[in-house]
Amino acid sequence: MEQFRSHVLVCTGGGCIASGALAVSAAFTEELQKQGLTDEVQVVETGCLGPCAVGPVALVYPDGVFYQNIKVPDVAEIVEEHLLKGRVVPRLVSHAPGTEKTVAEMRDVEFFNRQVKIVLRNSGLIDPLRIEDYVARDGYAALVKALTEMTPEQIVDEVLASGLRGRGGAGFPTGLKWRFAQQQSSDVKYILCNADEGDPGAFMDRSVLEGDPHSVIEGMAVGAYAIGAHQGYVYVRAEYPLAVERLQYAIDQAREYGLLGDDIAGSGFAFDLEIRMGSGAFVCGEETALMTSIEGNRGEPRPRPPFPAVKGLWDKPSVLNNVETYANINPIILKGAEWFAATGTEKSKGTKVFALGGNITHAGLVEVPIGMQLGEIINEIGGGVPGDKALKAVQLGGPSGGCVPYWHLDTPVDYESLQELGAIMGSGGLVIMDEDSCMVDMARFFLEFTQDESCGKCPPCRVGTKRMLEIVERICNGQGEEGDIERLQELGRMISQTALCGLGQTAPNPVLSMIRHFRHEWEAHIRDKHCEAGVCATMFKARCTNACPADVDVPGFVSLVGEKRFDEALRLHRERNPLASICGRVCFHPCESKCQRAGLDAPVAIRGVKRFMTEQETDILLPEVVLDEANAARKVAVVGSGPAGLSCAYFLARLGYKPTIFEAASTPGGMLVQAIPAYRLPREELGREISMIEKMGVTIECNKALGRDFTLQGLRDQGYEAVFLGVGAPQGSNIGVPGEDGEGVTEALSFLKTYNVDGTVAVGKRVAVIGGGNSAIDAARTALRLGARQVTILYRRTRAQMPAWAEEIDAAEEERIILQPLVAPVEIKHDAQGKLLGVICRPMTLGDYDSSGRRRPVAGRNADFLVECDQVIAAIGQWLDSESLFDGVSVETSRKGWLATDKNGRTSVDWIFAGGDAVTGPSSVVAAIGAGEKAAVAIDEKLTGANHAFWRRDVEVDTAFDPDADPVETPRAGVPVVAANVRVGGFDEVELSWAAETAVAEARRCLRCDYGKDRCAETEVNR
Amino acid sequence: MPTLTVDDIKVEVPDGTTILQAARQAGSKVPSLCYLEDVQTIGACRVCLVEVQGAKALVASCAAPVAEGMVVKTNSTLARKGRQTVVELLLSEHDGNCQTCARSADCELRTLARDLGIDEIRYEGERTTKSIDDSTPALVRDSGKCIMCRRCVTVCNETQGVGALFPQGRGFTTVIGPAFASDLSDVTCVQCGQCAAVCPVGAITERDQIDTVWAALDDPDKHVIVQTAPAIRAALGEGFDFEPGTVVTGKMVSALRRLGFDGVFDTNFAADLTIIEEGTELLTRLKAALVDGRDVALPMFTSCSPGWINYMEHYNPDFLPNLSSCKSPQQMFGAVAKSYYAEQLGKRPEDIFVVSVMPCTAKKFEAQRPEMVHDGVPDVDVVLTTRELVRMIKQAGIDFASLPDDTQDKPLGLSTGAADIFANTGGVMEAALRTVYEIVTGKPFPFENLHVAPIAGLEGVKEASVLIEGTVPEWSFLEGVTVKVAVAHTLGNAQKVIDAVKSGEKQLHFIEVMTCPGGCIGGGGQPRLTTNAVREARIAAIYAEDEGRELRKSHENPAVVELYSKYLGDANGDKAHHLLHTDYAEKERV
Repeated sequence: MEQFRSHVLVCTGGGCIASGALAVSAAFTEELQKQGLTDEVQVVETGCLGPCAVGPVALVYPDGVFYQNIKVPDVAEIVEEHLLKGRVVPRLVSHAPGTEKTVAEMRDVEFFNRQVKIVLRNSGLIDPLRIEDYVARDGYAALVKALTEMTPEQIVDEVLASGLRGRGGAGFPTGLKWRFAQQQSSDVKYILCNADEGDPGAFMDRSVLEGDPHSVIEGMAVGAYAIGAHQGYVYVRAEYPLAVERLQYAIDQAREYGLLGDDIAGSGFAFDLEIRMGSGAFVCGEETALMTSIEGNRGEPRPRPPFPAVKGLWDKPSVLNNVETYANINPIILKGAEWFAATGTEKSKGTKVFALGGNITHAGLVEVPIGMQLGEIINEIGGGVPGDKALKAVQLGGPSGGCVPYWHLDTPVDYESLQELGAIMGSGGLVIMDEDSCMVDMARFFLEFTQDESCGKCPPCRVGTKRMLEIVERICNGQGEEGDIERLQELGRMISQTALCGLGQTAPNPVLSMIRHFRHEWEAHIRDKHCEAGVCATMFKARCTNACPADVDVPGFVSLVGEKRFDEALRLHRERNPLASICGRVCFHPCESKCQRAGLDAPVAIRGVKRFMTEQETDILLPEVVLDEANAARKVAVVGSGPAGLSCAYFLARLGYKPTIFEAASTPGGMLVQAIPAYRLPREELGREISMIEKMGVTIECNKALGRDFTLQGLRDQGYEAVFLGVGAPQGSNIGVPGEDGEGVTEALSFLKTYNVDGTVAVGKRVAVIGGGNSAIDAARTALRLGARQVTILYRRTRAQMPAWAEEIDAAEEERIILQPLVAPVEIKHDAQGKLLGVICRPMTLGDYDSSGRRRPVAGRNADFLVECDQVIAAIGQWLDSESLFDGVSVETSRKGWLATDKNGRTSVDWIFAGGDAVTGPSSVVAAIGAGEKAAVAIDEKLTGANHAFWRRDVEVDTAFDPDADPVETPRAGVPVVAANVRVGGFDEVELSWAAETAVAEARRCLRCDYGKDRCAETEVNR
Repeated sequence: MPTLTVDDIKVEVPDGTTILQAARQAGSKVPSLCYLEDVQTIGACRVCLVEVQGAKALVASCAAPVAEGMVVKTNSTLARKGRQTVVELLLSEHDGNCQTCARSADCELRTLARDLGIDEIRYEGERTTKSIDDSTPALVRDSGKCIMCRRCVTVCNETQGVGALFPQGRGFTTVIGPAFASDLSDVTCVQCGQCAAVCPVGAITERDQIDTVWAALDDPDKHVIVQTAPAIRAALGEGFDFEPGTVVTGKMVSALRRLGFDGVFDTNFAADLTIIEEGTELLTRLKAALVDGRDVALPMFTSCSPGWINYMEHYNPDFLPNLSSCKSPQQMFGAVAKSYYAEQLGKRPEDIFVVSVMPCTAKKFEAQRPEMVHDGVPDVDVVLTTRELVRMIKQAGIDFASLPDDTQDKPLGLSTGAADIFANTGGVMEAALRTVYEIVTGKPFPFENLHVAPIAGLEGVKEASVLIEGTVPEWSFLEGVTVKVAVAHTLGNAQKVIDAVKSGEKQLHFIEVMTCPGGCIGGGGQPRLTTNAVREARIAAIYAEDEGRELRKSHENPAVVELYSKYLGDANGDKAHHLLHTDYAEKERV
């Protein structure tokens, strides 16, 4: 045999071929010839290696270096550098997650190093067209062992003892199935392989057939011997031409080598195998339908019992397993049941192959021990959800399966655990869904699939899933009705009970599981006609607007800015959100995260456009106000002058009311002024919009604290007919460690408030901020500006897990604030004199996934250490001391102590309304604005009996738009900022203004998703 | 003999019994829909669901075999709710204009909905696409009413081996119909109507021609006469709630008279005539083969059943010469009515309007075949099925049950017992043998009660041998010959016989084929639902009718004898050939 010093294994699985692997392989051959290396280096075209998303890929042995994203022009470099000079080409290898560090060897790549390959033991390493390669890796040794050393009973015993369960999805013990068939007395029996993989996004079986076809043939031959079958069929869909071609080639080779045929390996045992191609009907994955199809009839299921083991193909005892199940047989026979059972969980042994698809970084094929946590498969192996999006749920088992929400990422992936959550192991399709996926829409997708694929034989499946689909479609179209959820559940349960075959019985699963885990989303679709993910397009005008809690007409004002109609743009904005200038600076812009333009290059910088727009306002423009004497005479109180209170008062004023705002602090603005530092929100901007509201007839009385200076009952007694509570979440939480009551320890909110309101606050030289939220960042940056020499943020999770706004974290780092993630404070250390020494920190490491979908920080192995400092600022949460507010009036609160309201701000007391952080817990400015508007409408409704929210009617914006024109090729405009070293010197605004042309060009990047969509007026009023 | 518990009652049943059968044995009447005993057990419709202890879902009892110790609940809340949901779903897709549906009186779905107590359809939505296929003279399909139970598919494919109907498409758009959304007239549908006979709803029905008959009856220039097929009298009563197997010949004649027919005759007359013609043809072929050594087509097949003729033209064109050239009794009757009878009345053929009442839908097709129309005048003008006659009588407001018995008019109403048994499988053969034997031997037919037991009953293919001894001189060449005959009903069985003849496995002289299961008494135009029990009851009635007759052999029918002597001349002679025989041509198989 020729000896090569090196091998280049080029993946020629279907995925890599699609991305050009054959050309890459040819280029290697050519380049090696050119370099005269053909005697030294061999190119091998292998099956799938797994990481399809980065194909074409290749492995260079003996070094084990894994190259990805190889283009033909890269080949010469790999040959020259690696194969001639022995130097890895760093450009083409993978990187450690989140870093620039290259990881060259396959065994170090995170995608690979957590996997355990039993089924895919050969895939990617051997040439599937060479039986010699397979034999060299113990191929057919199991068959020979079975035929020469084992009785059929022993084989079944071994398979039974291994705990192998059917990998097609149902997880029936393979050995038991074999035993049933073995016990049937019949001259003719059949062994069948289900390779009719049909789940959307699943390609496990295809890859095995393409990469290691002999492993399936061998498994079937062993099975045939065990049950006494002499003929086998592999049922594979015609859409898998490469799999069919390679399998047929392998069957022919095996026959040639006497491993199939009349006298296998001289044992006298006869077995042969044929491929039967189906035309890709999903229902043919159902075993009885598959057999009907092999028999030459329309692939439709028949009732069971009789079970195939008794009466299967052509009414003969038959065993049907799927590709992956058979691929497990060789190692089980060769290495023994005990070896196999060592992998996996108590009830589920071995490994499982999954096809990762959907919103996942490393889409591809992986094999993991059964029982691995779902989060590990998705985040560590799969690289998590790409971009800044959050994971929402994972669909397992395709259209027959169910979803697992992000708060169950700690679920061990095994048959029982998944079933408990309403999902199934399935055949291995793992579709990852991020926050932009609408669960109602996903349910619709899967239901549509099963309805399309239903064979139509039984009414529950044919008609029942159609009726379910109609209901779900109605919900997606904004026509959902109360009772729809219950109707779906009832019908779903009945379909599961009454359908003829597995397809029908499991068809309702996606809907049922998505209702189970995401009921709130279904309710929002039905009751509020709102699709949070921004998918169900009939319910909104544009995704940005849909994402805005205040429902600002984003394409409207942006396009007006694009036409330099700044006043009109601002007026339109303030139809729904009075605090345009404030939001132009501090809004977390959920609109931008849903911007369609992101799919093209980057989202429109909506906040930037907004800020520019407000900068063009010279005299305050007052909005349309309805004069109404009756309303003006009605007394309405607003408690708190934060964004919720200001917004509520603003909209009440637009309806002719003259509400009074009571503010506890000496300055109006609530958190806007108390917590948000001036370098983010200049005080004059805040003042401008507050004075606009005052001009509309709103009175603001400062230094009036609820519970201190007045009571709710007192307001009532003074004739106030309604009260809106926008009191925020003003209390900072305790850390809960020893020493926090000592000297030098403060709490972020009071620290910020003291400075922002009083103009001065004590600041240490070395400051440690504990927490990872926005308050932590604000406190850290404020401390820095007030003279701290070193500011360290201590956070118990990772940087990526920090809840603070990413732009703020970046800015803090630019300002040389030290981020110290994965540490938990265990004690605030003071010396004997009570002088603060620092924070004793415990290094944390990431443990299991928790209900937030993130790995839980747990104590690491390293010893505690002291972070020296002379001031500790705790920023670990906020709460509301509601008891101190209410004097005799009992307003219901939530479990966490927030005020309980309906979506329109109505509390349990009919004259008391609430909104903002006091209801939701710490949230965004724009959410508070939206809540204030809703409460204003509810108050008006309570006082007048009708909804007068005239600003909610659809306003047509007459800006020009050519739907046929190509989008303008303008990159997203960045926000100019003051250099970090300059800005830390004071509280001047960090962000700078745009030039007019920048703003106009940016505005014109809008793709105008709203174009041609007339929002349903009725829907609007309901919102 | 496994023992199981059904609704707390222990029952012991033979191996292989289904849960449905066991339940019915235990007195639990589990409803069913797609299930057709001995024909279709595919568990498709999910109406017969029951709860089986330990099963993860409800079980279709019609298709599930019992097992020892099984515990079945047919009446649990889950089982009832399951069945209700299934039927509700069927109703939600079904074009349920019950009031105007031809099946309103005997719709199985409607009955089910009522029995299951369904008082609302909770899941409204899109309905099955409605398209009407009235391309054939015999049948009308209304896809909007189809509930895809597949009974028609099974009888068309498995019973008849025709395969004109099958499921296509997927999901909600699944349809049952001819391939590629063709019409029935575009495919090799033999128009036997077995699909219509088993359809539980109004999705496949006979083409309704009642109005044409009313119009003819209203036309003063037309002399409207009616003939009724032998099988009608044993089934018509079912349309008026008589038990299956009640013979209502007398009431039927009264009813026809009240409907206003100018002459009420009997296809039986023509059946007797057929025996003379067909028997003579058989003997002629045998003579040609045995004496003249000519290459004539044997075995000879009967040709009374028009579905069978269609089938042969499409599927076995090489055997067309083996078909008797005799027209069917219906057509012979029409031919005689518009010649001999017309002449007697002094009327032109076009003034005579012949209405047939047939158990058959293919007869509608047969009547309009070009071969059956002469100079624009068809032998038979309109064919009504038994079901149509029931409706017509109801439309006329005739109280059928209280009608007095009446008898048919002469001469075309005279017949023998041999004609009666044309109604059931084996009957034509037996009638032929009664006559042929006596012609050839001059001796009385030697079978007990004149019945040839081996060819009676519902066995799919039956055979008999008759040794001919003591022949009269004219037929002496048959001396010592054992005449071998076979009888097949359903086209599936007929094809088996053809295959056996083709392969040489069977040497036969004469083969009777009836298209429908049980023969014409189980025809596609008979009252629904025809089960084997109903077939047996109807056959028993027919045999009783035969046995009660004075004349039981066709050649003894005086009217037939007179017809030959006064008008036709010799059997198989020129005039007889011109009027009573036809020929067949290969048709494309689709």
